[in-house]
Amino acid sequence: MEVPLFLSKIEDSGISTWLRETESPFGFYFFLLLHNIGLSLAVGMSVFIGFRLLGFAPDLPVAPLKKFFKILWAGAWISFGSGLVLLLSYPTKALTNPLFYVKLALIGTGVWITLRMEKLVSDCESAGEEVTLIKGKALAARALVVWLFAITAGRLLAYTFRYLLYGQQG
Amino acid sequence: MDFHINFAHLHLLLNHVPILGTIIAIALFLISFCGKNGDLRRASLIIFAGVALVTIPTFVSGFGAQVNIVHQPGVSAPLIQRHLGSAMLSFWFMEITGGLAIAGLWQLHRTSNIARWNVLSVLFVSLLTIGLMARTGNTGGDIRHPEVWDSKEAPVQDTGIGSLLQAFEPAPDKFIKAMGISKFETAFLMDLHFFGLTLIVGTVGALNLRILGFAKQMPLAPIHKFIPWALLGLGINVTTGMLVLIGMPAYYTFDIAVWCKLLALMLLGLNAAAFYLTGVFGELEQVKAGEDAAVPAKIVAAFSMCLWFAVIMFGRYIQSFQDTII
Repeated sequence: MEVPLFLSKIEDSGISTWLRETESPFGFYFFLLLHNIGLSLAVGMSVFIGFRLLGFAPDLPVAPLKKFFKILWAGAWISFGSGLVLLLSYPTKALTNPLFYVKLALIGTGVWITLRMEKLVSDCESAGEEVTLIKGKALAARALVVWLFAITAGRLLAYTFRYLLYGQQG
Repeated sequence: MDFHINFAHLHLLLNHVPILGTIIAIALFLISFCGKNGDLRRASLIIFAGVALVTIPTFVSGFGAQVNIVHQPGVSAPLIQRHLGSAMLSFWFMEITGGLAIAGLWQLHRTSNIARWNVLSVLFVSLLTIGLMARTGNTGGDIRHPEVWDSKEAPVQDTGIGSLLQAFEPAPDKFIKAMGISKFETAFLMDLHFFGLTLIVGTVGALNLRILGFAKQMPLAPIHKFIPWALLGLGINVTTGMLVLIGMPAYYTFDIAVWCKLLALMLLGLNAAAFYLTGVFGELEQVKAGEDAAVPAKIVAAFSMCLWFAVIMFGRYIQSFQDTII
C-alpha cells in the first residue's frame, strides 16, 4: 500500500523538522521524557489502586484511593499531549506501523476500564468496601493486563517500524 | 558538550568497596550469631545492600578503564578479559546477596525476625560472593602488577581453585555478543525495565505523595506495605538495565547521562538510609488518617521524588548523550 503524501507534508513542516533535528534538549527527547513520565504516573497509579482492589494491604481504606485517580489522569493527559508531539515528529514511522493501532486500541480499552474503576472507587462510601472489592478485583486485574500489553506494544514500536520517514525505509 | 572521566582512576577508587565491604559485612553477619545479636545482623545486612549498590558503578567503570589502558605498553588484553569474566560472575552474586539482604531487612522490619531460609541463603551466597570477589580483585591486580604473578609469564591460564572458578565464568566477548544478539531481546529487556519503573512509581510515588500531604485520609503504615513491590521493580530494573549495558558497553559507558543516572541511584540509596536509619520512618508508622507527617519525613519524600525524576530523565536522555565522555 502506498504511503499517503500528507505524511511527507507533516514531516517537512518547520515544527516537525525542528523536533527531529534540533540539538536543543527540549526537542524530540524532551517529549519522549514527558511521554515516559506521564505513562509511568498513569500506569504506576493504576498499579497502586489495582493492587489494593486485588486485596493487597487490607488495612488501607479504599474510598480515599479516588484521590490518586487525579494523578493517574494527569499522567494520562501528559502522555497524550506528548504522544501527539512525538507523532508530529515521525508521522510516517508511527502511522504505517500496524502495531501503533494495536497500541491505540489497548490504550482505549485501558482508559475505559480505568473509568469504570474510578466510578467504582468513587461509589465506595455508599456501596461499602466489601462490595467495591468484590466488583473491583476483576476490573483491576483486567486493567493491569491491558496496561502491560499497551506498554509492550508502545515499546515495540521503536523496533518494528517499516519507514523511519516518508520514503525512507527503517 | 564533552565531559572527562578518568575511568581507570574511578575504577581504582571504587573497586575496593565490593571486596572490603563484603568482608566487613560477612564478618559482622557471622559474629551476630554469637549471642544472637540482632543489631549486628541488621548492620551487616545494611552493609551488604549498600555494597551491592556501589558494585554497579564499580562494574561499569571497569569497562571504561579497559578502554583507557588496553593499548598501553605492558598491558595484556587476555588478562583484562580474564578479569572481566570474573567480574561478570561476581557482580551478579553481589547483587543477589544485596537482594537477599534487603529481603532480610524487610522481614526484620515486619516481624523483628529473619526467616531461617533467608539467614541461610544470605550466608551461603555471601560466602560464595566473597570468594568470587577475591578472585575478581586478584585478576584485576594481575593486569597492572606483574610483581604479584607466580611466574614470569602472565597468568592467563589459571590453576587450582582459579581454574575451577574460571570454568563458571562467562567468556566476556561471547556474553556481550549474546546480550546484544537481537533487537527484540533488547526490546524485551527494555519493556521489563518500564514495568519495573511503573512498580516503583506506583508504590514509592504513592508513599511519597501521602507523606507530602496528599490523600491525608489514608494512614501511612498500610501504604508502606507496598514497598516490596518497589523493591521487586528495582530488582527487575537493575537486572534488565545491566544486561542491556553489558550488551553494548561502549555505547553506555561513555555516556554522561548513564553516570548521572547512576549518581542519582546512589543518592537514592543514601536517601533511603536517611529514611530508615535516622528515626524518620519510626515516627511515620504512627501517622494515622488525617494526620500530617513530620517535616524531616517530608524532606526525605521530596528528595525521593526529585531523585526518581532524575533517574527517569537521565535514562531517557541516554540516546542523545552518547559518546559525551572523552
